[in-house]
Amino acid sequence: MSKISIPLGPQHPGLKEPINFGLVLEGEQIDKATVNLGYNHRGVEKAAEERTYIQDIYLIERVCGICSHSHVTCYITCVEEIAKAEIPERAKAIRVLVGELERIHSHLLWLGIAAYEIGFDTLFMYVWRDREHVLDCLELVGGNRVHYSINTLGGVRRDITPEIKAELLKRIDILEARTKYYTTLATEETTVLARTQNVGVLPKDLGIRLGACGPTARASGIARDVRKDEPYLIYDKLDFKLITADTCDVFGRVVVRVLETVESCRIIRQVLNYLPEGPISIKVPWKIPEGEAVNRYEAPRGEDIHYVKGNGTDKPERVKVRAPTLANYHAVPHMLEGGWLADVPLVIAAIDPCMSCSDRALVTDRAAARSAVWSWEEMRRNGIEFYKRRGVDFSKVTLK
Amino acid sequence: MKTKSLKEKIITWSRVKSPWILHFNSGGCNGCDIEVVDALTPRYDLERFGIQLKPTPRHADVMVVSGPVTRQQIKRIKRIYDQMAEPKFVVAVGACACSGGVFDGCYCVAPGGLDKVVPVSAYIPGCPVRPEAVIDGVVKLLGSLQK
Amino acid sequence: MSDLELEERLKKRLEDKFGGDILEMAVQRRRRLWLTVKPEKLVDMMRFLYEEMGFNHLATITGVDFGAELGALYHTTDQHNIITVRAKTPRANPSLPTVRDVFPGTESYERELEDLFGIKIEGLPPGRHYPLPDDFPPGQHPLRKDWKLTDAYPEPAVKEAK
Repeated sequence: MSKISIPLGPQHPGLKEPINFGLVLEGEQIDKATVNLGYNHRGVEKAAEERTYIQDIYLIERVCGICSHSHVTCYITCVEEIAKAEIPERAKAIRVLVGELERIHSHLLWLGIAAYEIGFDTLFMYVWRDREHVLDCLELVGGNRVHYSINTLGGVRRDITPEIKAELLKRIDILEARTKYYTTLATEETTVLARTQNVGVLPKDLGIRLGACGPTARASGIARDVRKDEPYLIYDKLDFKLITADTCDVFGRVVVRVLETVESCRIIRQVLNYLPEGPISIKVPWKIPEGEAVNRYEAPRGEDIHYVKGNGTDKPERVKVRAPTLANYHAVPHMLEGGWLADVPLVIAAIDPCMSCSDRALVTDRAAARSAVWSWEEMRRNGIEFYKRRGVDFSKVTLK
Repeated sequence: MKTKSLKEKIITWSRVKSPWILHFNSGGCNGCDIEVVDALTPRYDLERFGIQLKPTPRHADVMVVSGPVTRQQIKRIKRIYDQMAEPKFVVAVGACACSGGVFDGCYCVAPGGLDKVVPVSAYIPGCPVRPEAVIDGVVKLLGSLQK
Repeated sequence: MSDLELEERLKKRLEDKFGGDILEMAVQRRRRLWLTVKPEKLVDMMRFLYEEMGFNHLATITGVDFGAELGALYHTTDQHNIITVRAKTPRANPSLPTVRDVFPGTESYERELEDLFGIKIEGLPPGRHYPLPDDFPPGQHPLRKDWKLTDAYPEPAVKEAK
């Protein structure tokens, strides 16, 4: 059988890691996959050097719209470390609170997208409806649905009042109940199992070698979680489980994410009950002394690492951002190789690269010398039809 | 104002009742993208206006662009615009698409907003835009079509 | 200094192994060790960290413009501690060896060094531009301190002059 090569991508909404995958097919099976990166590079790191530390908060927040709090917290801990500023305990707790709300928001978003990619549209709509509760919580705390900018140099901008606390606790109960339902659905529904089990396998040793992180690594049995390994803010005072799965496939990644969402609900409850009295921010001088710091943060998608170098002025000398997705892309070709073309959208979505793709794939049949452009949607359709022929049909699933 | 024939009226009516949109991220941070998708999901439900998200430019009437235009994307965005069938409209969603936003001046971002690259019919400001703003912007665009 | 015992032990092990090849080394705070190594010993050091000391994750590589020299910081971690290895190279003819043999998942970080700082990475197979656009003027490295936007795209200067 002649081999077919498919370039997949590169239009991909993302930070600076929109992707292009070169796939070589043998029949419907993937023989070889390569990854090309670097389409939506904007030059945030250079821009950060030209702005002040305060301006950078808002710039770095816009590196990514989904994990904006993660990036800012990671950056601001570096700056505060260089300035030798110890922020109040209450501010730390609020940062953790927003961080965990963001994790729920990101994981639910991902679950919806994954459901969409496997053709389970009802679940997609259900999850996104319930996700609105988190966005309401974030709006309540930070004042905006997506870029909440809760952080400022030396603490946080807004306090948690008793009314906000009561409302948050109410919403978290709803979310936890819904997430538990999705956990049962994702782990027991046979159609979901048929689409996710033994798909996109990443063995543990390979995951370590390629530097995978976050839920992608934890689903391969690698117990990597910065919150546990190097507790920052108040994570050492909280009781939560590190979720891992040993199935190493997409199913494991679903399980890890839904269970982590439940854990995040528990963390939020603990933080709200812990919330110490005191100020929410301290004054930090505008000029940050010379020095350098590197810090890690467990973003929803994995380990986020920032490096900041100060030079004694109000502008940083160098800011380096490494988003978690970049670390996980190297593992994707290994997950794809040997799998079906029908699984490609799901496997790529399973590392939670960034959301829905307007990706277009060019299908070139070398032997027949003809080519056709495939949109992401057609890829997805192809995948759903492929599995329908094998008896996996989501139209027969009923939800409560 | 000259009166429209019945045929023209029917065409306008069908256009206004079923605008299909193509969502294109020209290098943004995803904030606006998730809000655009949010507008289509149960709470806001843009689909009740007959709006549907379409993956290919050839099916779409309205291109919704979010994010600053990166230099790598200039050529692509022009090509996608050319592929759309007439009449076509472009909506710039978010501060970055409108003017460059925080990224104006970055070395990989085309100076100015989206309107320096393709003609824009409507601007929806906000960073990120709220789903209500998306709905408002789209409804205003549809209203202007009726005239 | 009893709370930095572990960090001092890590430092001692590296000192025993590499001795004079380490130009400077300091424990910055708990869980953070910074050191500068001669570039020719970089790969050996990374291999030692990976194989002997359990620092099996290279979190990222940061390029830095030190003025007279360019350099790269290799942030390696064993989950709990971060050892940052600095390697400097002269600005006139910058080059560093690749660490891909030890950490296979680092290709994109090394390409970033090549594109944004113009540090030649010895042993990196030829590939496409990353992360700069395909039509970016060659020989321009935006993250160097002396680089200006007008070097690559003169037109914004005209706009500002108006």
